[in-house]
Amino acid sequence: MLPFANWIHGTTVGWAVGGGVPWIWPACETLHFIGLALLVGCVGVFDLRLLGMAKGLQVEPLQRLMPWGIAGFVINFITGVMFFAGDPYQYINNTAFWMKMLFIGLAGANVMAFYAMGLNRRVEAIGAGEDAPTLAKIVAAVSLASWLGVVFWGRMMPFLGTSF
Amino acid sequence: MEILASLEHSAFSVWVKESGSIFAYPGILFMHTIGLGLLVGANTAINLRILGVARRMSLAPMESFLPVMWLGFWINAVSGSILFVADATTKLANPAFAVKMGCIALAVVNIFLIRRYVFRDPGLDRGPVPAIGKVLAVTSLLLWTGAITAGRLMAYLGQDSGAPEFINHIGG
Repeated sequence: MLPFANWIHGTTVGWAVGGGVPWIWPACETLHFIGLALLVGCVGVFDLRLLGMAKGLQVEPLQRLMPWGIAGFVINFITGVMFFAGDPYQYINNTAFWMKMLFIGLAGANVMAFYAMGLNRRVEAIGAGEDAPTLAKIVAAVSLASWLGVVFWGRMMPFLGTSF
Repeated sequence: MEILASLEHSAFSVWVKESGSIFAYPGILFMHTIGLGLLVGANTAINLRILGVARRMSLAPMESFLPVMWLGFWINAVSGSILFVADATTKLANPAFAVKMGCIALAVVNIFLIRRYVFRDPGLDRGPVPAIGKVLAVTSLLLWTGAITAGRLMAYLGQDSGAPEFINHIGG
Protein backbone atom coordinates (compact mmCIF):
# COMPACT_ATOMS: atom_id res chain seq x y z
CA MET A 1 0.00 0.00 0.00
CA LEU A 2 2.84 2.38 0.84
CA PRO A 3 4.38 2.43 -2.68
CA PHE A 4 0.93 3.20 -4.13
CA ALA A 5 0.43 5.95 -1.52
CA ASN A 6 3.82 7.43 -2.38
CA TRP A 7 3.09 7.32 -6.10
CA ILE A 8 -0.39 8.89 -5.94
CA HIS A 9 0.78 11.55 -3.50
CA GLY A 10 3.51 12.47 -5.98
CA THR A 11 1.08 13.11 -8.83
CA THR A 12 -0.11 16.62 -9.75
CA VAL A 13 -3.53 15.79 -8.29
CA GLY A 14 -1.91 14.70 -5.03
CA TRP A 15 0.06 17.92 -4.88
CA ALA A 16 -2.96 20.14 -5.68
CA VAL A 17 -5.39 18.46 -3.26
CA GLY A 18 -2.75 18.10 -0.55
CA GLY A 19 -2.47 21.86 -0.13
CA GLY A 20 -0.94 23.05 -3.42
CA VAL A 21 -4.26 24.61 -4.36
CA PRO A 22 -5.92 25.40 -1.01
CA TRP A 23 -9.55 25.68 -2.17
CA ILE A 24 -9.63 22.24 -3.79
CA TRP A 25 -9.98 20.27 -0.53
CA PRO A 26 -13.05 22.21 0.73
CA ALA A 27 -14.58 22.13 -2.78
CA CYS A 28 -14.16 18.35 -2.93
CA GLU A 29 -15.67 18.00 0.58
CA THR A 30 -18.73 19.93 -0.60
CA LEU A 31 -19.06 17.81 -3.75
CA HIS A 32 -18.61 14.64 -1.66
CA PHE A 33 -21.68 15.58 0.43
CA ILE A 34 -23.73 16.56 -2.63
CA GLY A 35 -22.79 13.18 -4.15
CA LEU A 36 -23.87 11.53 -0.88
CA ALA A 37 -27.33 13.13 -1.11
CA LEU A 38 -27.72 12.10 -4.78
CA LEU A 39 -26.57 8.53 -4.16
CA VAL A 40 -28.40 7.87 -0.88
CA GLY A 41 -31.51 9.73 -2.10
CA CYS A 42 -31.99 7.96 -5.42
CA VAL A 43 -30.88 4.51 -4.26
CA GLY A 44 -32.73 4.90 -0.95
CA VAL A 45 -36.03 5.82 -2.59
CA PHE A 46 -35.74 2.76 -4.85
CA ASP A 47 -34.96 0.49 -1.87
CA LEU A 48 -37.82 1.93 0.19
CA ARG A 49 -40.26 1.30 -2.68
CA LEU A 50 -39.14 -2.34 -2.89
CA LEU A 51 -39.64 -2.60 0.87
CA GLY A 52 -43.23 -1.41 0.48
CA MET A 53 -43.16 2.36 0.90
CA ALA A 54 -44.94 4.53 -1.73
CA LYS A 55 -46.38 1.37 -3.26
CA GLY A 56 -48.27 3.44 -5.84
CA LEU A 57 -44.98 3.84 -7.73
CA GLN A 58 -44.38 1.52 -10.68
CA VAL A 59 -40.89 0.06 -10.30
CA GLU A 60 -39.84 -0.03 -13.96
CA PRO A 61 -39.90 3.77 -14.48
CA LEU A 62 -38.56 4.34 -10.96
CA GLN A 63 -35.30 2.83 -12.21
CA ARG A 64 -34.84 6.02 -14.27
CA LEU A 65 -33.69 7.63 -11.03
CA MET A 66 -30.78 5.20 -10.85
CA PRO A 67 -28.44 7.05 -13.27
CA TRP A 68 -28.65 10.03 -10.88
CA GLY A 69 -27.68 7.80 -7.97
CA ILE A 70 -24.80 6.40 -10.05
CA ALA A 71 -23.76 10.00 -10.85
CA GLY A 72 -23.61 10.62 -7.10
CA PHE A 73 -21.41 7.54 -6.68
CA VAL A 74 -19.08 8.68 -9.50
CA ILE A 75 -18.77 12.17 -7.93
CA ASN A 76 -17.89 10.56 -4.62
CA PHE A 77 -15.49 8.05 -6.13
CA ILE A 78 -13.57 10.81 -7.92
CA THR A 79 -13.51 13.21 -4.94
CA GLY A 80 -12.66 10.25 -2.67
CA VAL A 81 -9.64 9.31 -4.81
CA MET A 82 -8.63 13.00 -4.74
CA PHE A 83 -8.73 13.07 -0.90
CA PHE A 84 -6.63 9.91 -0.86
CA ALA A 85 -4.12 11.38 -3.31
CA GLY A 86 -3.91 14.60 -1.30
CA ASP A 87 -3.06 12.92 1.99
CA PRO A 88 -2.77 9.12 1.58
CA TYR A 89 -0.85 8.57 4.81
CA GLN A 90 -3.81 9.56 7.00
CA TYR A 91 -5.94 6.88 5.34
CA ILE A 92 -3.77 3.83 4.82
CA ASN A 93 -3.49 3.05 8.53
CA ASN A 94 -7.01 4.24 9.41
CA THR A 95 -9.33 1.40 10.46
CA ALA A 96 -12.46 3.46 9.74
CA PHE A 97 -11.25 4.11 6.17
CA TRP A 98 -10.85 0.38 5.48
CA MET A 99 -14.23 -0.34 7.10
CA LYS A 100 -15.75 2.26 4.78
CA MET A 101 -14.12 0.54 1.77
CA LEU A 102 -15.44 -2.80 3.04
CA PHE A 103 -18.99 -1.44 3.23
CA ILE A 104 -18.70 0.08 -0.27
CA GLY A 105 -17.60 -3.38 -1.45
CA LEU A 106 -20.59 -4.91 0.33
CA ALA A 107 -22.97 -2.45 -1.35
CA GLY A 108 -21.35 -3.23 -4.72
CA ALA A 109 -21.58 -7.00 -4.21
CA ASN A 110 -25.23 -6.54 -3.25
CA VAL A 111 -25.94 -4.69 -6.52
CA MET A 112 -24.16 -7.47 -8.45
CA ALA A 113 -26.25 -10.10 -6.62
CA PHE A 114 -29.39 -8.15 -7.59
CA TYR A 115 -28.48 -8.48 -11.28
CA ALA A 116 -26.99 -11.98 -11.04
CA MET A 117 -30.21 -13.33 -9.53
CA GLY A 118 -32.22 -11.65 -12.29
CA LEU A 119 -34.07 -9.56 -9.71
CA ASN A 120 -33.69 -6.44 -11.87
CA ARG A 121 -35.99 -8.03 -14.47
CA ARG A 122 -38.36 -9.46 -11.86
CA VAL A 123 -38.89 -6.09 -10.14
CA GLU A 124 -39.52 -4.32 -13.47
CA ALA A 125 -42.84 -6.12 -13.65
CA ILE A 126 -43.99 -4.66 -10.32
CA GLY A 127 -46.88 -2.30 -11.00
CA ALA A 128 -48.60 0.29 -8.84
CA GLY A 129 -49.79 -1.19 -5.55
CA GLU A 130 -47.90 -4.48 -6.00
CA ASP A 131 -45.53 -6.06 -3.53
CA ALA A 132 -41.87 -6.88 -4.32
CA PRO A 133 -40.63 -10.49 -3.97
CA THR A 134 -39.03 -11.31 -0.61
CA LEU A 135 -35.59 -11.75 -2.17
CA ALA A 136 -35.77 -8.22 -3.65
CA LYS A 137 -36.79 -6.89 -0.22
CA ILE A 138 -33.76 -8.54 1.35
CA VAL A 139 -31.45 -6.98 -1.28
CA ALA A 140 -33.11 -3.58 -0.67
CA ALA A 141 -32.63 -3.88 3.10
CA VAL A 142 -28.97 -4.93 2.67
CA SER A 143 -28.48 -1.94 0.34
CA LEU A 144 -29.88 0.54 2.90
CA ALA A 145 -27.84 -1.04 5.69
CA SER A 146 -24.60 -1.02 3.71
CA TRP A 147 -24.91 2.65 2.64
CA LEU A 148 -25.70 3.51 6.27
CA GLY A 149 -22.46 1.71 7.14
CA VAL A 150 -20.54 3.63 4.47
CA VAL A 151 -21.76 6.96 5.90
CA PHE A 152 -21.03 5.82 9.46
CA TRP A 153 -17.44 4.77 8.78
CA GLY A 154 -16.85 7.82 6.60
CA ARG A 155 -17.91 10.04 9.46
CA MET A 156 -15.78 8.10 11.93
CA MET A 157 -12.56 8.46 9.90
CA PRO A 158 -11.36 11.57 11.75
CA PHE A 159 -12.31 10.09 15.12
CA LEU A 160 -11.55 6.37 15.11
CA GLY A 161 -8.71 4.22 14.01
CA THR A 162 -5.10 5.23 14.25
CA SER A 163 -4.32 8.80 15.03
CA PHE A 164 -2.81 10.85 12.28
CA MET B 1 -24.16 36.54 23.67
CA GLU B 2 -23.83 35.84 27.38
CA ILE B 3 -26.50 33.17 27.16
CA LEU B 4 -24.66 31.58 24.24
CA ALA B 5 -21.37 31.66 26.13
CA SER B 6 -22.95 30.01 29.18
CA LEU B 7 -24.56 27.34 26.98
CA GLU B 8 -21.19 26.75 25.37
CA HIS B 9 -19.59 26.20 28.77
CA SER B 10 -22.39 24.03 30.18
CA ALA B 11 -21.57 20.53 31.37
CA PHE B 12 -23.46 19.12 28.38
CA SER B 13 -21.45 21.14 25.85
CA VAL B 14 -18.22 20.16 27.53
CA TRP B 15 -19.30 16.49 27.35
CA VAL B 16 -20.13 16.85 23.65
CA LYS B 17 -16.77 18.40 22.82
CA GLU B 18 -14.36 16.91 25.30
CA SER B 19 -15.61 13.57 26.62
CA GLY B 20 -14.04 11.66 23.74
CA SER B 21 -17.12 9.39 23.75
CA ILE B 22 -18.19 8.07 20.36
CA PHE B 23 -21.77 9.04 21.30
CA ALA B 24 -20.75 12.67 21.82
CA TYR B 25 -19.30 14.74 18.97
CA PRO B 26 -18.69 11.88 16.46
CA GLY B 27 -22.10 10.27 17.02
CA ILE B 28 -23.96 13.57 16.76
CA LEU B 29 -22.08 14.48 13.58
CA PHE B 30 -22.97 11.04 12.17
CA MET B 31 -26.66 11.63 12.95
CA HIS B 32 -26.39 15.03 11.24
CA THR B 33 -25.06 13.31 8.10
CA ILE B 34 -27.79 10.64 8.18
CA GLY B 35 -30.38 13.42 8.51
CA LEU B 36 -28.82 15.13 5.49
CA GLY B 37 -29.09 11.92 3.47
CA LEU B 38 -32.76 11.42 4.39
CA LEU B 39 -33.78 15.06 3.96
CA VAL B 40 -31.83 16.14 0.90
CA GLY B 41 -31.81 12.63 -0.59
CA ALA B 42 -35.59 12.13 -0.58
CA ASN B 43 -36.00 15.76 -1.61
CA THR B 44 -33.69 15.26 -4.61
CA ALA B 45 -35.60 12.19 -5.78
CA ILE B 46 -38.94 14.06 -5.53
CA ASN B 47 -37.53 17.11 -7.35
CA LEU B 48 -36.03 15.00 -10.14
CA ARG B 49 -39.43 13.36 -10.69
CA ILE B 50 -41.12 16.79 -10.76
CA LEU B 51 -38.56 17.89 -13.35
CA GLY B 52 -39.47 14.94 -15.57
CA VAL B 53 -37.10 12.08 -14.64
CA ALA B 54 -39.07 8.78 -14.58
CA ARG B 55 -42.10 10.67 -15.89
CA ARG B 56 -43.95 7.48 -16.85
CA MET B 57 -44.42 6.83 -13.15
CA SER B 58 -47.17 8.67 -11.27
CA LEU B 59 -45.97 11.53 -9.08
CA ALA B 60 -48.67 11.37 -6.40
CA PRO B 61 -47.18 8.36 -4.49
CA MET B 62 -43.89 10.30 -4.15
CA GLU B 63 -45.70 12.28 -1.44
CA SER B 64 -45.10 9.25 0.82
CA PHE B 65 -41.45 10.32 0.92
CA LEU B 66 -42.28 13.68 2.52
CA PRO B 67 -42.35 12.05 6.01
CA VAL B 68 -38.86 10.65 5.26
CA MET B 69 -37.76 14.24 4.59
CA TRP B 70 -39.34 15.49 7.79
CA LEU B 71 -37.68 12.68 9.76
CA GLY B 72 -34.35 13.83 8.33
CA PHE B 73 -35.23 17.43 9.06
CA TRP B 74 -35.95 16.78 12.74
CA ILE B 75 -32.89 14.57 13.20
CA ASN B 76 -30.86 17.49 11.87
CA ALA B 77 -32.72 20.16 13.83
CA VAL B 78 -31.89 18.29 17.06
CA SER B 79 -28.33 17.22 16.17
CA GLY B 80 -27.66 20.64 14.64
CA SER B 81 -28.88 22.43 17.77
CA ILE B 82 -26.51 20.33 19.89
CA LEU B 83 -23.58 21.05 17.56
CA PHE B 84 -24.53 24.74 17.63
CA VAL B 85 -24.80 24.98 21.42
CA ALA B 86 -21.45 23.25 21.84
CA ASP B 87 -19.79 25.99 19.76
CA ALA B 88 -22.36 28.78 19.90
CA THR B 89 -20.16 31.87 19.83
CA THR B 90 -17.80 30.60 17.10
CA LYS B 91 -20.64 29.31 14.92
CA LEU B 92 -22.60 32.55 15.23
CA ALA B 93 -19.54 34.52 14.15
CA ASN B 94 -19.06 32.28 11.10
CA PRO B 95 -20.48 33.96 7.96
CA ALA B 96 -21.18 30.55 6.37
CA PHE B 97 -23.48 29.67 9.29
CA ALA B 98 -25.87 32.54 8.50
CA VAL B 99 -25.91 31.56 4.82
CA LYS B 100 -26.67 27.94 5.79
CA MET B 101 -29.55 28.95 8.09
CA GLY B 102 -30.96 31.30 5.43
CA CYS B 103 -30.88 28.54 2.79
CA ILE B 104 -32.57 26.07 5.15
CA ALA B 105 -35.34 28.53 6.11
CA LEU B 106 -36.14 29.19 2.45
CA ALA B 107 -35.84 25.48 1.56
CA VAL B 108 -38.37 24.57 4.28
CA VAL B 109 -40.82 27.16 2.92
CA ASN B 110 -40.14 25.59 -0.49
CA ILE B 111 -41.25 22.15 0.82
CA PHE B 112 -44.62 23.60 1.83
CA LEU B 113 -44.97 25.35 -1.53
CA ILE B 114 -44.21 22.09 -3.38
CA ARG B 115 -46.87 20.33 -1.31
CA ARG B 116 -49.36 23.05 -2.14
CA TYR B 117 -48.60 23.63 -5.83
CA VAL B 118 -47.56 20.11 -6.86
CA PHE B 119 -49.08 17.46 -4.57
CA ARG B 120 -52.31 19.40 -3.85
CA ASP B 121 -52.75 20.34 -7.52
CA PRO B 122 -56.08 18.85 -8.67
CA GLY B 123 -54.52 18.22 -12.09
CA LEU B 124 -51.69 16.13 -10.58
CA ASP B 125 -50.73 13.19 -12.85
CA ARG B 126 -53.31 14.23 -15.44
CA GLY B 127 -50.79 16.17 -17.50
CA PRO B 128 -47.33 17.69 -17.26
CA VAL B 129 -46.36 19.38 -13.98
CA PRO B 130 -47.16 23.12 -14.25
CA ALA B 131 -44.27 25.54 -14.62
CA ILE B 132 -44.55 26.73 -11.01
CA GLY B 133 -43.92 23.17 -9.79
CA LYS B 134 -40.79 22.89 -11.93
CA VAL B 135 -39.53 26.29 -10.76
CA LEU B 136 -40.05 25.17 -7.13
CA ALA B 137 -38.15 21.92 -7.80
CA VAL B 138 -35.20 23.90 -9.20
CA THR B 139 -35.18 26.40 -6.31
CA SER B 140 -35.40 23.49 -3.85
CA LEU B 141 -32.36 21.76 -5.41
CA LEU B 142 -30.42 25.05 -5.43
CA LEU B 143 -31.30 25.90 -1.81
CA TRP B 144 -30.28 22.49 -0.46
CA THR B 145 -27.07 22.61 -2.50
CA GLY B 146 -26.46 26.03 -0.95
CA ALA B 147 -27.17 24.70 2.56
CA ILE B 148 -24.76 21.76 2.11
CA THR B 149 -22.07 23.99 0.60
CA ALA B 150 -22.32 26.60 3.36
CA GLY B 151 -22.42 23.83 5.99
CA ARG B 152 -19.24 22.23 4.66
CA LEU B 153 -17.48 25.58 4.35
CA MET B 154 -18.21 26.36 8.02
CA ALA B 155 -15.28 24.05 8.80
CA TYR B 156 -12.95 26.15 6.65
CA LEU B 157 -14.21 29.74 7.02
CA GLY B 158 -14.11 31.66 10.25
CA GLN B 159 -12.51 30.39 13.43
CA ASP B 160 -11.78 26.74 14.02
CA SER B 161 -14.60 24.95 15.73
CA GLY B 162 -15.41 21.37 16.53
CA ALA B 163 -14.23 19.00 19.18
CA PRO B 164 -10.66 19.72 20.23
CA GLU B 165 -10.35 16.11 21.41
CA PHE B 166 -10.49 15.00 17.82
CA ILE B 167 -8.61 15.90 14.70
CA ASN B 168 -11.52 17.33 12.78
CA HIS B 169 -9.84 17.34 9.42
CA ILE B 170 -10.59 14.52 7.02
CA GLY B 171 -14.11 13.64 6.07
CA GLY B 172 -15.40 15.86 8.79
